[in-house]
Amino acid sequence: MCGIVGYIGFRQAAPVIVEGLRKLEYRGYDSFGIATNNPHIDVYKCEGKISENDRAAAQLHGSIGVGHTRWATHGVPSDRNAHPHLDCTGRIAVVHNGIIENYAALTRELEERGHRFRSETDTEVVAHLIEEYYRGDLVAAVRQAITRLQGSYALLVTAEGHDEIVAARDASPLVLGIGDQEFFAASDVTPLLGYTERVVYLEDGDLASLDRDGWHVFRDTTPVRREIEHVTWDVETVRKGGFPHFMLKEIYEQPKVFYDTFHGITPESLPERYRRPSEITVVACGSSYHAGLVFKYLCESTCRIPVRAELGSEFKYFTPPLKGIVMVISQSGETADTLAALKKAKAYNCPTLAITNVLGSSVTRIADHTLYMRAGPEISVAATKSFVAQLAVLLQLVALMSKKDDFAEPLERANSAIEEVLLQDIDRAVEICRPAQHLFYVGRGLFYPIALEGALKMKEISYIHAEGYAAGELKHGPFALLSEETPVVALCSPGDTYSIMLSNIKEMKARKAPIIGIGAHGDRELIDIVDVFIPIPGSHELVQMIATSVLLQLLAYRTAVALGRDVDQPRNLAKSVTVE
Amino acid sequence: MQAVILAAGEGTRLRPLTLSRPKALVPVANTPILKYVIDALLANGIREIIVVVGYRKEHVIRYLNDHDLPVRVVYQENQLGTAHALRCAEPYLQDRFLLLAGDNYIDAASIAQIKNERNAILVTDHPSPTDFGVVIARDGLVREIREKPTTTDGKIVSTGIYSLDRSFFRYAVGPEVPDALQAMILDGVRVTPVRAVDWLDAVNPWDLLEMNSRLLARIETQRAGTISRSSKLYGLIRIGKGCEIGPNTYIHGPVMIGEGCRIGPNCVILPNTSIGARVTIEPLSYVAHSLVMDDVVIGSHSRVIDAVIGEGCRLADHTATWTSEAIFEREKEGFQKASFGAVLGDRVRSAPYTILKNCIVGNNASIQSGNTTVTGIIPDDAVVI
Repeated sequence: MCGIVGYIGFRQAAPVIVEGLRKLEYRGYDSFGIATNNPHIDVYKCEGKISENDRAAAQLHGSIGVGHTRWATHGVPSDRNAHPHLDCTGRIAVVHNGIIENYAALTRELEERGHRFRSETDTEVVAHLIEEYYRGDLVAAVRQAITRLQGSYALLVTAEGHDEIVAARDASPLVLGIGDQEFFAASDVTPLLGYTERVVYLEDGDLASLDRDGWHVFRDTTPVRREIEHVTWDVETVRKGGFPHFMLKEIYEQPKVFYDTFHGITPESLPERYRRPSEITVVACGSSYHAGLVFKYLCESTCRIPVRAELGSEFKYFTPPLKGIVMVISQSGETADTLAALKKAKAYNCPTLAITNVLGSSVTRIADHTLYMRAGPEISVAATKSFVAQLAVLLQLVALMSKKDDFAEPLERANSAIEEVLLQDIDRAVEICRPAQHLFYVGRGLFYPIALEGALKMKEISYIHAEGYAAGELKHGPFALLSEETPVVALCSPGDTYSIMLSNIKEMKARKAPIIGIGAHGDRELIDIVDVFIPIPGSHELVQMIATSVLLQLLAYRTAVALGRDVDQPRNLAKSVTVE
Repeated sequence: MQAVILAAGEGTRLRPLTLSRPKALVPVANTPILKYVIDALLANGIREIIVVVGYRKEHVIRYLNDHDLPVRVVYQENQLGTAHALRCAEPYLQDRFLLLAGDNYIDAASIAQIKNERNAILVTDHPSPTDFGVVIARDGLVREIREKPTTTDGKIVSTGIYSLDRSFFRYAVGPEVPDALQAMILDGVRVTPVRAVDWLDAVNPWDLLEMNSRLLARIETQRAGTISRSSKLYGLIRIGKGCEIGPNTYIHGPVMIGEGCRIGPNCVILPNTSIGARVTIEPLSYVAHSLVMDDVVIGSHSRVIDAVIGEGCRLADHTATWTSEAIFEREKEGFQKASFGAVLGDRVRSAPYTILKNCIVGNNASIQSGNTTVTGIIPDDAVVI
């Protein structure tokens, strides 16, 4: 998903476009670019978020322009791959949202005809196609070019010597904004709001031309009428698409995110030299650290490889003899402490592996090899889908390192279990958590890191003091705090730890702590000793682990909403911590 | 022109298929019913669409987001009837609007017929009118609407699609829209009946099979994924991206297969079958005239005919459906006669050699011992041993 904006009118185009792109950042933010037409084409492209790099872009001259904010799917984010893309002569600029499926064949054809390509994107082919068909009429050239495209597109085109923007769409969103002597085109209405309420939604197959005096829509060569609609929406409503919070939107994306990420990692994703290391050091912060702990439990027991999981911020204070591979996990790929750890590993000459959600982010440029999660842009400060995507990558990593085919098998359809847990009614558990000042999350084995992550979610967004403990550690101190006012969330799934967890729960119960027990569907024992029982789907421990982490996100979310907290922007917190 | 689509109700008559989704999201020809309604509006240039959501609203919103559909979402927190749902959208309505149900199929031509009428109701003939609101019309005007009457002479029923304006809210004070319309007619407002071109409703879960067949006839052909050279494909077939169709698989359209499915080798898929995304059909199985939802696994040597298979079902090898006629006693609906193979809710599991004979199996039910013939109604979460 990407976002595009175009402007033609009496204002300087670049600042309008920069502001519009910033509103479209929820559609992608790994690189961006702008082209203005004054009447020469000037281009500014930049890797990174527009909200952090907008100054130079806003200084381009001209009252006609197009812009793009990208979430890379083909080709890493770089200045070269960022839109707009130009033709050979540099006189035609194109921005595109969608996927051109036949770009490889078209590229070959155009290269044979002498066109020179500069990027690895599917979009550049559109610029060259238009150049190929250009005979002085830009609309005609675009019309001819789009007949050659297969796939989905929303396109904006501007060219030297033409006082116009040409727009076309098929299966990707595009709206026109109709102002007073100024016209807009964008992926959704958010960039237009504030300038005009009058919009025209283009249909699939429409071609439109915007010039200083008006706008025209064509089907093929026939002009067609399109109604002007009035929108009264606010920007936030559009971006959340109907969900009250980004966090809930992202929680509900998880079945697809897990499936896409899990199936996106194939044996080719991991070069042979990473398969049998003597040891692995995992460095990460926050939720990513918890994912790293899960990996430690699984990799040591399944692959027999020693794994250390370390916090990025503490890693610099000890100088262990680093051997084997060093793996860093960071959603944004920009976490300062994680980057510092990565540099240290390089200094020790260790092979380095990064796991991140953002193509081309800083970690990917430092690490020797990168594995990507396919979570898409995560806007909510509290990590949800990126945590599940990290688990998906790490579980595949264990499968690849262990060479055990049956390891991954039960996870192939974990998306169904996530879907099922989203249906779970947790009202009674929320009622217990809502009035609490303190909460404990306990688990053993694999469920210990999940308890830590569950507690982190709760404190981040509900501001309830929540602590995760290994269930056996409670007796070494925290037990003194238990009372009827400290509810405990106990993770108790079948397996090696089940019976000992049951006796731990009974001990906590004896201190009168209200217990929310999370266990397997059909559990007969746990249900009798806890105050609220929440069943978890999935017949396999790993699937139950994923389902439990999703359930704990929902518990934190619903509790925070019940307390009236600002879920997406919790106080004092930032999405990625880029200072040490 | 604005349009309000009501997608807040569960659609309880379609249980067990509505546990995880409202009826509006039930996939027919791999497309939720709601999507057909939105497409019909968009095809008529109606862009200001308000969708009222309630039951399982996150699922509806997620679907709308995933498909970049340009609609505004309005919440109905408690499902207190269709007129109440419409009132939730009232603050956003300017003047004239269409009111539609999100859980009935409607085509673009019907919308074109009604969109320019003021105070009109879209009607159609139906062989079992007593399941619907019967419309009594005389001299080109609607005289009366009788909601689900026990007996009737008329065969004309309401499709639940209306062309209205804001003055309707004067009458829409009770819970249901037909009552409000009845009040409006009694008040002397002229309401015209407009004939629908193509409108479909699935009252009972097994009706989905008929609806599926009708909509599969309209799909566009596509061959994506990897299709074995030795497989044989005839007729109207749509195969999604990332599919693997194994050797010696015979597919006879109309058949629609979603993304990322693995089928074969040596399978037979016969007409009027839709298969959702990420479905696995193991070797030597036979599927015909069925609606299979996402993430289903059908074991080898199985025979699935006239069946609706909910999301995430896992049928072990040698599972067979057996089509026959039986009489069901259903909650609130009383006795009904129906002929079909099986209706399985979501995530049903069956052991090897299970025979599903004209049965309705609830969500998460598990048939644990093999060689069992399952008939009748099996409740949600049941374990059959």
